[in-house]
Amino acid sequence: MKYSYIKPRKKSIFSAELKLVLTFFSITIFMLLGTYTFLLYKDYKFIEDRADIVQQRYDLNISLTQMKEEIEFIEKQNLLSQKIYTQNSVLKESMRNLFDLVPQRITLSEALLLDNGLILYGITPNKDVYNFMLQAPLRSIFHKTYSSFYPDKNGWLRFVSTNYIEEREDEN
Amino acid sequence: MISRIFESLYIKVFVSIVVGRADTTVLIELYSKGKIKNSFEEVFATTDIDENMREFILLYISESPFYYISFLDDSQNQGAIPTCNKNKIDFYQDMSGCSYRCFKKRWSYFTDHDYIYSIERKFQHIGVDYIFSPFLLLANFFKDKIADNLAMFLLIEEKSVSLSVFNNSELLYSEHLLLNTQNREELMYEDVGTEMDESLEEDGIDLEELDIIEELDSLEDFGDIEDLDTGDDFEDFEESHEIEEDFHTQDETPSNEVKSDELNDDYERFSLIQKSINHFYKDDKYESEFIENIYVADGIGISSDFKKYLEEEMFLSVYIRQIDLTRELASLARMEMGL
Repeated sequence: MKYSYIKPRKKSIFSAELKLVLTFFSITIFMLLGTYTFLLYKDYKFIEDRADIVQQRYDLNISLTQMKEEIEFIEKQNLLSQKIYTQNSVLKESMRNLFDLVPQRITLSEALLLDNGLILYGITPNKDVYNFMLQAPLRSIFHKTYSSFYPDKNGWLRFVSTNYIEEREDEN
Repeated sequence: MISRIFESLYIKVFVSIVVGRADTTVLIELYSKGKIKNSFEEVFATTDIDENMREFILLYISESPFYYISFLDDSQNQGAIPTCNKNKIDFYQDMSGCSYRCFKKRWSYFTDHDYIYSIERKFQHIGVDYIFSPFLLLANFFKDKIADNLAMFLLIEEKSVSLSVFNNSELLYSEHLLLNTQNREELMYEDVGTEMDESLEEDGIDLEELDIIEELDSLEDFGDIEDLDTGDDFEDFEESHEIEEDFHTQDETPSNEVKSDELNDDYERFSLIQKSINHFYKDDKYESEFIENIYVADGIGISSDFKKYLEEEMFLSVYIRQIDLTRELASLARMEMGL
């Protein structure tokens, strides 16, 4: 309840001089704190950047190793592909040579290529045609040649020609 | 919240200023942790704020930022009215140009608005925080008696008397009476006859022949004065710890000149009170009740004649209690702050 005709003045512990001094010190402390905070931030940022760079270098090293491995693998694949290509070329050439050996009067129904041999299935009008026109060149290529015949319905002969190359001892 | 903490750490300095007729009393109270740690009182022979007074006050208020300067309203145009209702206030007093406060939603006290400005200008160098009405001071001082009595209450200051009539905390009437010191001598001449009549009364002269008693004809409406209770109901009051009837006794031997001045003042006060009471009884605006008792807050040390005037001329039971105006003012300031 208010009894007085007037209200009391606001009381403050801060006099004008004290306010001035406090303001000055506040600004100084604020600036010091600001500088300190700025330096802390920059320090933190520097440490963070350094850690990032270290991490990046580590990642790059890992990546480099992986890339080297991949290059090595690709080189191996390349060599393999070249080898396969060469083998295929050789095989293709061999096949072409093989099929060049087969005369027109003999018809092949199946050919099996083995590592050290060749098995041919086919039809021949008679044994002579086979012996003179196919077996003779096969003997010149393979070391062992075996032939077997059995008659077909139309009077021709079906044959199975099995041919092997003997592996050289010095290769072993 | 922070200001509260700071406030509790500092001492509070209460400065109370009461302006008298030719001097000013300044009381400084240093208050801390619910107690008055120290107090200093000084009386300055000026009614204005001079350099000595300013230095005295500044010496103590510089000890703490929490200082409160209280001033006792001594304006001419002040008083109290028996209502707080804004619609009824104008019935008793024209409040244009006045500031007023309501006391416990029962009655109001007011003062001149320009007076407050003048006080604030007067105290502009040291400032002023509280201006209290003497009626508020009186009500606070006699709060134990006002609560359950029908009586007149007086606050005696050097240059004024604050008069109020309360009936069980309800204000019936009040008036701020100013002593006219310039006309004192005229009053004395007018009263010579009365003084002589008083001396003759002791020799057997009929009291009804006194001029003053003639002014109290209206009191006849209230019954036989002789039937009035003359003190049996006030035994409790006498047994209380109050300092009552501590007026100047005959043991004191002031100089004749001083005694003469006191007598003049006291008689003028008595005359003003008598006129005011007549006004109270006659004016229909106020709810008249017959007054048997009068409680006096004596702030200056009135003479025993004053009591005698009231008792013998107005047939009142008079109870006087000494009051230290500056200390009461400081306690009002603390009450305002809730301390």
